[in-house]
Amino acid sequence: MKKSKLGFWGFVLPSFAMFTLVVLIPAVWGVVYSFTDWNGISKEVRFVGFRNYIQIFTQDGDFLHAFLFTAVFSILAVACVNLVGFLLALLVTSKAKGTTLMRGAFFMPNLIGGILLGFTWQFIFVQAFGAIYNTTGLGFFRNWLSDTKTSFFGLLILVIWQLAGYMMLIYIAQIQNIPDDILEAAEIDGANYLQRLFYVILPLVAPAFTIGLFLSLTTCFKLYDQNLALTNGGPFNSTEMLALNIYNTAFKYNHYGEAQAKAVVFLVIVSVIGLTQLSISKKKEVEM
Amino acid sequence: MKKRVLALVLMGVMTTGLLAGCGNQNQSADNQSEDASKPEADNAEADVEDAADEADAPDVSDADTSDASSGLEGTIDIFQYKVEINDALKAATEQYMALNPGVTINLETVGGGDDYGAALRTRMQASDQPEIYNIGGPQDVIDWEANLADLSSEAWIGNTVDGLLDDVIKNDAVYGMPLAIEGYGFVYNKEIFEAAGIDASSLKTYDEIDQAFGELKEKIDNGDLKEQFPALEAVVEYPAKEKWVLGMHTGNIALGQEFANCTEAFNAKEVEFTYGQELKDLIDLQVKYTSNSDNAAALNAVDYSMQAGGGLAIERVAAIQQGNWVYPIIDEVDSEVAQKLGIIPLPLKGVSEGNTPVGVPMYWAVNSQSDENEQAIAKDFLNWLYQSDEGMQIVVNDFGFIPPFTNYGDAKPSDPLGQAISEAANAGTIAPWVFNGCPTSWAENVLGAEIQSYLGGDKSWDEAIESAKQNWKEARQ
Amino acid sequence: MKRKQTLSSLFLTVIGLFLALVFFSPILILLSNSFKSLKDIYLDVLALPNADTFIASNYPDAFEKLEFVKSFANSLVITVCSTVLILIFCSMAAWVLVRYKTRTSSVIFMLFASATLIPFQCVMLPLVRLMDKMHMMNRQGLILMYLGFGASLSIILFHGFIKNVPVELEDAARIDGCNMVQTFFLIVLPMLKTIMVTVAILNVMWIWNDFLLPQLMINKPGWQTLPLKTFLFFGQFSKKWDLATAGLIMCMLPIILFYIICQKHIVKGVTEGAVKG
Repeated sequence: MKKSKLGFWGFVLPSFAMFTLVVLIPAVWGVVYSFTDWNGISKEVRFVGFRNYIQIFTQDGDFLHAFLFTAVFSILAVACVNLVGFLLALLVTSKAKGTTLMRGAFFMPNLIGGILLGFTWQFIFVQAFGAIYNTTGLGFFRNWLSDTKTSFFGLLILVIWQLAGYMMLIYIAQIQNIPDDILEAAEIDGANYLQRLFYVILPLVAPAFTIGLFLSLTTCFKLYDQNLALTNGGPFNSTEMLALNIYNTAFKYNHYGEAQAKAVVFLVIVSVIGLTQLSISKKKEVEM
Repeated sequence: MKKRVLALVLMGVMTTGLLAGCGNQNQSADNQSEDASKPEADNAEADVEDAADEADAPDVSDADTSDASSGLEGTIDIFQYKVEINDALKAATEQYMALNPGVTINLETVGGGDDYGAALRTRMQASDQPEIYNIGGPQDVIDWEANLADLSSEAWIGNTVDGLLDDVIKNDAVYGMPLAIEGYGFVYNKEIFEAAGIDASSLKTYDEIDQAFGELKEKIDNGDLKEQFPALEAVVEYPAKEKWVLGMHTGNIALGQEFANCTEAFNAKEVEFTYGQELKDLIDLQVKYTSNSDNAAALNAVDYSMQAGGGLAIERVAAIQQGNWVYPIIDEVDSEVAQKLGIIPLPLKGVSEGNTPVGVPMYWAVNSQSDENEQAIAKDFLNWLYQSDEGMQIVVNDFGFIPPFTNYGDAKPSDPLGQAISEAANAGTIAPWVFNGCPTSWAENVLGAEIQSYLGGDKSWDEAIESAKQNWKEARQ
Repeated sequence: MKRKQTLSSLFLTVIGLFLALVFFSPILILLSNSFKSLKDIYLDVLALPNADTFIASNYPDAFEKLEFVKSFANSLVITVCSTVLILIFCSMAAWVLVRYKTRTSSVIFMLFASATLIPFQCVMLPLVRLMDKMHMMNRQGLILMYLGFGASLSIILFHGFIKNVPVELEDAARIDGCNMVQTFFLIVLPMLKTIMVTVAILNVMWIWNDFLLPQLMINKPGWQTLPLKTFLFFGQFSKKWDLATAGLIMCMLPIILFYIICQKHIVKGVTEGAVKG
């Protein structure tokens, strides 16, 4: 194919220009602030070198805690969200009746914004679960969101519920791209459902997994609204995730420079994870 | 190659067409929604218009600007945090605009449970900054100093309740106008206590309150009050999920005795927790009378709406630690319950009993970066709102505020909680309100979180206090 | 064989419907509470409205407070324009990013992809300052901002899809004398139907529900979108659940309708076998 540079830029530029303007430039600007002592308000900004970076690793236990919490949470959440999303996609593309309705229901949680989701689930975990505990006496339903463990699982349930439908949508598009004749051929050759799943469907859906894992990982790592509305980091900041920690550092403690330093560290780490994941999945695709 | 260039041009045209399409739609929406004489077709035009507004303004402001009906002209923006008064404030701006036809006031209220401090900081990044906004205490005065106009020559200064301006005075300049007076204590349901045969109006000391709550608890547990109050299940609800309730309000009861006022707290390098033990007693007292007394950790999931709307308002509990600001919330859920409310002072055992903490939640500030004319309008509007006869009615009746001024005459708060706080203020049975003088965010996010970990059983009381002390010291280094 | 299939289909249907109910329940809770007074919401969130507690007045109240018609129009114009821009420009960009295997192309793609990791809060302050300088703090500007913010995710999705679209058709078109623009709009675009729908749905939902960006950029009387107005029912501490639930249902209804309509297109697009070739 003949390639023209002009054509390339003509096609890329409209979205890339806006992207540069609203994401890249402010982000770079943010990196610059990470070397200052700016509090987000004052006109005086002094450069302080790497002080903010040293500070967050040596003095700020909360940041490390938030980072660990976010990492553990994200790994679990990504696994659950994608598994559930893929199973849902299989379900709604199967021979079951009423798949249109199901698809709508699974996807519906995405229609409500994160803040409201948090409030709604707070209602459910605290009020509804409490009511269930009072009538049945089942210990499982007791004291949700009041300690670190139930807050963790509460967040996990919320995220699965919200994101699984989204992932489902991506997987559906891919599953439906599998030509019927391939599946029919496999069936005629005597492959049972599991065999078809593992040897035909999964390899062909693999590219979508790359997207799905990547998307859910970034969403989980950036989780903010849900964290704020469901637990607000509580109890005693034990469920404070990175985005919330960064936000609080910047706007509650007025350490804007330090917050930006955290954001940079955060970005670097997540980029490494993301790139590793991407290259691993790419290799897999090729192997299959 | 030529073909490619042509293609690009075509694409450009297409894009412009698309954008123009949007622009046109926008425009028609504008015309419906806004004054027909002010269509905003695109950026450029809007800019021209802004420039025109600005150019007009100084001419007019050459005239006397101190008088409300002097023909002020211009546009100001208000950026405020109190969602509860949004509608009433909007009506007030309209009333003011009717009196001053040359003035346009835009009201922006921060909703969504969003943090006002963050929203304000972001809003101030724009060149078109708001003329009127809210600030909290001494730390805000320092942070925002470049954006704060001196209000010390305003007419209302002399009418302000004594001491309310201390936190916003710096180098003889006054940087804030108090929004309202607020106070808190145990907001309680008189009828429930009466039904249990308890006279709550005279409760003052820790032991008296403990005993009265104990009696009520016994009656509730025995089912004596079941018929009259079917939902009643405990004496108190304590929303430990809200760190501001724990760290700022409960904490202030003890810190308010250690420091005489905000400024003293603000200048303190260290906090001693002189009354740490008494603070623990007060927290334990509240926990003891919730339905989770056997399991304090569960309180960490109880939030404000479960305490106020879902607690006191539906008569599930008889008393909550809150302030007069809960009145509209209770009134909205059940207006009959709202009329039965009173306030029992929060006791600091053996140290300060029978006193109600009273203070100013936020102040109005005028932006010194705005041009003179806009500042003049902003000052005039605030003065009108809090000092004119019609303004006083709005402040007291529509906002439901306790006025921070002495010249309100008959205009008094109409709700029982506002009245109770006013009475305490008049009688002088008040305690200071010092949490705005703590290191930034310390009261809420440090002390509050430490109390949570005490309730959750993760830390002993002494460990929690020690950690909070340490954090204060580091913040003030 | 046939019987086994009907059995398994029945089994899947039952499981699926049960799961659907579980997924749907929080929304049902919102819906049922939107017909109750604030007091009854607090008394029992889970109780369905009955003859004593049922009220419909939350809806007209919320309708009025939201200035529904105006806010709806704002939301609609902003969402539709942004999504159309995103669909066209991002599919264009993704297409050349896949087809041009140059270093520049992969760097740009990596930039788009890694930007999904940047939390919005980190760019918030500089963004407002920049947008203000460029006089973009208005509805038109907001639409362009959505193109910038939506680009990352949309390009990743298009990119993943286009990778699997055979290049032969495009080559054939080029040999037949089509230029780049013609090739893209006449040959490639029609093949992207399924992913277009997915990208459109995801963007519409995100933009329609977005709260923070409009709050920062266009929180001015007359410009506000539905979520901005709805969230005025949520104060910093107190929540007016009666009006909020009604407002949220009204906010969600249009998008549910949109989804139902688009669902047909998904099914249709698939049965037509747009990607079979």
